[in-house]
Amino acid sequence: MKVEELLSQSGEWLKGTGPESDVVISSRIRLARNLHRFPFLTVATPQVRSEVERFVRPRLEEGKLPRKLVYWSLGELSTVERTLLVERHLISREHEKAEGDRGVAVGADEAISIMVNEEDHLRLQVIRSGLQLDEAYDEIDRMDTALEGSLNFAFSPQFGYLTACPTNVGTGLRISVMMHLPAAALSKQMDKVLQSLQRLNYTVRGFYGEGTQPLGDFYQVSNQITLGKSERDIISELKRVIPEILKFERQWRHKLLEDEPRRLEDRVWRAYGILKHARRITSEEATDLLSALRLGVTLNVITGIPHKVLNELFIFTQPAHLQKIERKILEPEERDAVRAEFIRRRLEGL
Amino acid sequence: MNCEKCHKNHATIHLTAIENGVKREAHLCDECARQTGAISNFNFSIGSLLGGLMEPVKTPKMNQVRCPECGITYSEFKTKARLGCANDYEVFRSELLRLLEKVHGSTQHAGKTPHTVDAHIRKENELIRLKRDLDSVVKSEDFEKAAEIRDRIKTLELELNR
Repeated sequence: MKVEELLSQSGEWLKGTGPESDVVISSRIRLARNLHRFPFLTVATPQVRSEVERFVRPRLEEGKLPRKLVYWSLGELSTVERTLLVERHLISREHEKAEGDRGVAVGADEAISIMVNEEDHLRLQVIRSGLQLDEAYDEIDRMDTALEGSLNFAFSPQFGYLTACPTNVGTGLRISVMMHLPAAALSKQMDKVLQSLQRLNYTVRGFYGEGTQPLGDFYQVSNQITLGKSERDIISELKRVIPEILKFERQWRHKLLEDEPRRLEDRVWRAYGILKHARRITSEEATDLLSALRLGVTLNVITGIPHKVLNELFIFTQPAHLQKIERKILEPEERDAVRAEFIRRRLEGL
Repeated sequence: MNCEKCHKNHATIHLTAIENGVKREAHLCDECARQTGAISNFNFSIGSLLGGLMEPVKTPKMNQVRCPECGITYSEFKTKARLGCANDYEVFRSELLRLLEKVHGSTQHAGKTPHTVDAHIRKENELIRLKRDLDSVVKSEDFEKAAEIRDRIKTLELELNR
């Protein structure tokens, strides 16, 4: 499979069908693993990096794993192709920008990906649509256990799985639940949510992870603690927190609908109008308007637009996707025109 | 809105500074913000955060302690906040224990153990996990489950003492 072929499909997690999908976009779990007897990437020479990749790659491509994976060596991809993988949430921004031998193994439905030579030798990731933490963990656990058959991971009985950064040590487990919280944000209630989550040792980040702004009212909530608790405990603790956020967001959605129906309707239909007719639109504006439209769809202010289409529009209107679709490098202004046309066409067909 | 500096790219960084009571705004693209250094002031790295959590070393010598396997010193670890190899967890053990306690509130793994690790270690880890579970089960007054866990603990302890 080529990176380009990703354009003819969209990830399982974008379906918008999972549980609680009115608020929860996706559940993501990642495991950090390092190989026994190889230095961490912090100090690894270019030779060691290639050695790690040469050692790991055939083991990821072999057929015995629970999922068939396709491996891409990032050095062989163009910047646009690598950025496309970031936009798809298959690799991190850091992995895209890094130098030296590195890669990613991806399952056909994009639900699973394994980064090689990121901050740790291996970063396994599973994403599923909606709130499906146990299912996501079951899948990643199966893959991890299968990999243990051919790879010897650095592990200590006291510290657990050993990672380059001590903030990941132990389980190496990071859960991220991506939520759409437009009503809480519109009603200026996000500070409350953020503060309580931070007090409970959870971090909140934007759409593309570390260091990104919360674009379009999308927030990712993640656990910080990885040591001293079992994987299942970390998951069940987060599972107790998420419903509170869902309840809060839904309450504010209904409050908006009851108290200020005109304001809400206006915002939603205005967003639809611009998206349907604009000739130039920046990525930020598009994200903002799509967010408003998504809110309108979940509250039945506007009907006939599937969640899947909206979720896909968020991803397909990102710069690398547009450039890959057009098959050329586009200046930001050209991109704005192409983006507007892409959105128009997609909404016209409905 | 276009970047104030290059007038070419889209401004993605919006800064507001208040100096002597006067508000100043700047709208820059990513590249220009980086060049002018505006962005770095806002880049809060995990390195600086973790470095802040680490206590000053008791003896200056500790900073010079070097891992014989990967070659990094404790002071290098403090600036990068990244370890160089698995062995560092032993070499910088006492300092790491204090750091892990602050970051995770614990210094003992209680999760999955790879099946390649020998059975004895796996059992010891299970024992730690069970004792923890027992505490929370007793707190929630689920006595049936508590009895079940106690039985398993007993069996494991017997096996481990053998």
